[in-house]
Amino acid sequence: MSAIGELQRLNTSTGGPPRKRDTKAALLFLLPWFAGILLITAGPVAASFVLGFTDYNLIQPPEFNGLENIERMFTDERLHHSLGVTFTYVFVSVPLQLAAALGLAMLLDRGMRGLAFYRSAFYLPSLLGSSVAIAVLWRQIFGAEGLINQMLGFFGIEGTGWISDPDTALSTLIVLNVWTFGAPMVIFLAGLRQIPVMYYEAAQIDGAGRWTQFRRITVPLLSPIIFFNLVLQIIHAFQSFTQAFVVSGGTGGPSDSTMFYTLYLYQRGFHSFDMGYASALAWLLLLIIAAFTAVNFWAAKRWVFYDD
Amino acid sequence: MTDPRALSRKTLTRSAAKHTGLILLTLVMLYPVIWMVVSSLRPNEEIFRSPGVIPDSLRFENYSEGWTALASPFGHYLINSAIVVIGCIIGNLVSCSMAAYAFARLEFTGKKLWFAIMLGTIMLPIHVIIVPQYVMFSQFGWVNTFLPLIVPKLLATDAFFVFLMVQFIRGLPRELDEAARIDGAGHPRIFLQVILPLMLPALATTTIFTFIWTWNDFFSQLIYLTDPEMYTVPVALRSYVDATVSTSWGSMFAMSVVSLLPIFLAFLVGQRFLIKGIATTGIK
Amino acid sequence: MKKVLVGALAALLLAGCGGSGGGKADGDLTADKIELRFTWWGSDARHQRTQQVIDLWQKAHPNITIKGEFKEWNGYWDSLATTVAANDAPDVIQMDELYLASYAERGALLDLGTAGKNLSSTDFDAKALATGAIDGKQYGLPTGVTTYSLVANTDLLAKYNITLPDDATWTWDDLKTVGDQISKASGGEVTGLQSWGFDIGGVNIWARQAGASLYAPDGKVAIPADILAKYWQYLLDIAKQGVAPPASVSVERAGAGLDQSGTATNKSAIGTWWNSQLTSLAKASGQNLKLLKIPGEGTATGAYYKPSMFWSISSRSKHPAEAAAFVNFLGNSQEAADILLTDRGIPANTKIRTALTGKLEGTDKAAAEFLDSVKVGEAPRVTPNGASDVEAILKRHTESVLFERETPQQAAEAFIKELQAGIDAA
Repeated sequence: MSAIGELQRLNTSTGGPPRKRDTKAALLFLLPWFAGILLITAGPVAASFVLGFTDYNLIQPPEFNGLENIERMFTDERLHHSLGVTFTYVFVSVPLQLAAALGLAMLLDRGMRGLAFYRSAFYLPSLLGSSVAIAVLWRQIFGAEGLINQMLGFFGIEGTGWISDPDTALSTLIVLNVWTFGAPMVIFLAGLRQIPVMYYEAAQIDGAGRWTQFRRITVPLLSPIIFFNLVLQIIHAFQSFTQAFVVSGGTGGPSDSTMFYTLYLYQRGFHSFDMGYASALAWLLLLIIAAFTAVNFWAAKRWVFYDD
Repeated sequence: MTDPRALSRKTLTRSAAKHTGLILLTLVMLYPVIWMVVSSLRPNEEIFRSPGVIPDSLRFENYSEGWTALASPFGHYLINSAIVVIGCIIGNLVSCSMAAYAFARLEFTGKKLWFAIMLGTIMLPIHVIIVPQYVMFSQFGWVNTFLPLIVPKLLATDAFFVFLMVQFIRGLPRELDEAARIDGAGHPRIFLQVILPLMLPALATTTIFTFIWTWNDFFSQLIYLTDPEMYTVPVALRSYVDATVSTSWGSMFAMSVVSLLPIFLAFLVGQRFLIKGIATTGIK
Repeated sequence: MKKVLVGALAALLLAGCGGSGGGKADGDLTADKIELRFTWWGSDARHQRTQQVIDLWQKAHPNITIKGEFKEWNGYWDSLATTVAANDAPDVIQMDELYLASYAERGALLDLGTAGKNLSSTDFDAKALATGAIDGKQYGLPTGVTTYSLVANTDLLAKYNITLPDDATWTWDDLKTVGDQISKASGGEVTGLQSWGFDIGGVNIWARQAGASLYAPDGKVAIPADILAKYWQYLLDIAKQGVAPPASVSVERAGAGLDQSGTATNKSAIGTWWNSQLTSLAKASGQNLKLLKIPGEGTATGAYYKPSMFWSISSRSKHPAEAAAFVNFLGNSQEAADILLTDRGIPANTKIRTALTGKLEGTDKAAAEFLDSVKVGEAPRVTPNGASDVEAILKRHTESVLFERETPQQAAEAFIKELQAGIDAA
């Protein structure tokens, strides 16, 4: 009998008697979390919900304005544009970043020489985070006189200013996001470490190739972690703010080409003193993200394995 | 079977190709970082006028000048950041792992709903939460203390890590806690003695990420810490920059490099624990 | 139900707002130990100077402690809005012309006129002072004034053997011609002009020279679309003809701040700047820079004094009298001025300015002298409540025009509509 077959049977078995409820223990373990929800989260979240139905300029008390903010969303062209920008960003950068992260995590997982060095080197860009330095660094690379154009110039091609051209600015932010694949990579690495080596050994005895091993051992056993990264990176990408903020100096420019949803919301709230509308926008974003997350969880039933 | 020498030559070539590729990729990944380090050693005027990463002259004064350019020596901000970071790490490790255990292993009423609420809390952008939250914390008298930054972490509000740990715990075989239960262990003991040791990689990940993200977090630290005495590294770093006058870029880059060191060291240390998973502890 | 909720929320958001502070602005200074919070934006050089001034005040008033809170521009406004919302605003606030009305008309700022004996403004230039007043109430004391100008790199002009026309009489066409000569003479090495259209000064000047103005006195947008369209047409022409850099370069440099501008990196021979920025530019450029008058001023006056920034006091300050006294010290004390120099513009206090001019050197001196040499008209109306993001709107449309995503006419109409909508909503 094949070792892989046995393994999969083992993993998909949901056996065991039905468990009794552990309400008491759950209360104990969730005590800090419940306290946090009640004391820290609930108030501000509720406030932002109510503010969504008001006209609130931050300086004077909010005034109830019914569904006006929601009506405004239908005719707000810049909002529609920012949705387009955000969706493009999510659908392009998340798969690219996850593929890069998983690919390199797999490569680095095998106890190769210089492993720690590469891992650190690949993670270093993610450390820069939202540092102001990023804006300058990115201009050094993608600017009109940046590294990319110097290399293109070597081949006689004249490049544009990639960051400041509305046609290419969003792409540079996608590259920036992929460049910081360190975080999901580290999570993948941690997940890969949880897969017992014996599974692979068993598969090798069965003569399974690399691809088969990947498909039949790595993917199923890593699936909770892949799922986690997918869900969180999508949420994260929808909320993407800092990189666009830092690179465009807070404007979402040129010509709104990097105007992410949260950046727009922030500008309405803080720059235009339009916090009521910004709050309504935040709840629309919550609905969008929640819908995507729900779909993800629904689809997960088909491909994510848990050991419990 | 093939000739072992041929095999080893093949492996060697493959390994060489792999390393060449990885080193090239490393260079691409690191170019901006290298540029930053070089710029931190350049005279201010040279930073934007001369291209490339080979400096004409080294100016170490950027470091000494940058260190003392603000109201307090830069070390002061490093210490403030360190206090916040340590508080957040402890908070996240304790509270998130507890919540995660409940969500992953315990059965209780409304579990799915609570889980959805937990995920929901990370879906609202901070920019609309921060004003009501500031009002609330200022009523508590917490503005200009580190409490608004640390206390939420002690109360597991960082759903990212709860979810991360849930996924890790669900990846652990149930048989392990069943075995412990048969030995008469209650949930606290299963959690402390079985689950926690096995999720070391997840805990290490949490520590590293909390460290880095807190260290880099600008917005909430800017809002809650108005007194320069309380400034943390990201808030202090931005005080060098003003788009309308000339900026001490040299000092700014120098201090950026300085502030990068602790998180890089944290990562170097932390990553050792990433590789100590179930695979090396030999269970199962 | 919802009304109750909103009511509760309003109460929460204004909690503690009950008392309008702890005294009258023209009252006697307290002898008790108190603390004032004082906030400003800037870079490290300004933080150091300002701290020295605070120390100086502290010597004379040991019981009135000043807590300085410094921020960079973007974070400054986020933080200020949040603290004002929570009724936790600093007492003394560095304010910008763009935001003055937005805060003042919503009741967040104190009328400095009520400070009486604690705050004197008699030595201030009347035109400059008027820029901080709305409906007869003085909400901001101008720290300094600055005026729109061109900065020319004389080293580059000498290198390419270019003689400039007389800047007292030159026209916009002259500027384009000379810019073109420079671009051609350098063979693409540098451009004659640096594009503008990213700050509101250029629009103001353009409108005023054409006999119009950006805002009507009642705060409505008043600039005719065709005048604005001509402004953008000019910018588009110089970019397309190589007189200024191509669109992507201009947009990139505009976003990168002063140090990476064409003027600072010696890649454009002439650029538009506020005259007070000369020293920073000269430091970054390392070459000889000279201030020139804006073209077109020979026939119609567009120039004006822009307040570089204001000192304002929170209307909810618990110590308005002491805050006013501190602002008085910032604006009227010669000792403070000797430390601050021109960091916040050439002082709007004429007495201080006269005393200071003698002490200035080099580019600081040139900037001060230039200011006196410019013939200015009445200052434009303060940016209306609801228009604080006017520069962001302007910048976006300039980008669209330069990249030819909008025609100048379309941009002008969209700009006016959008700006007016913001004002109407406020």
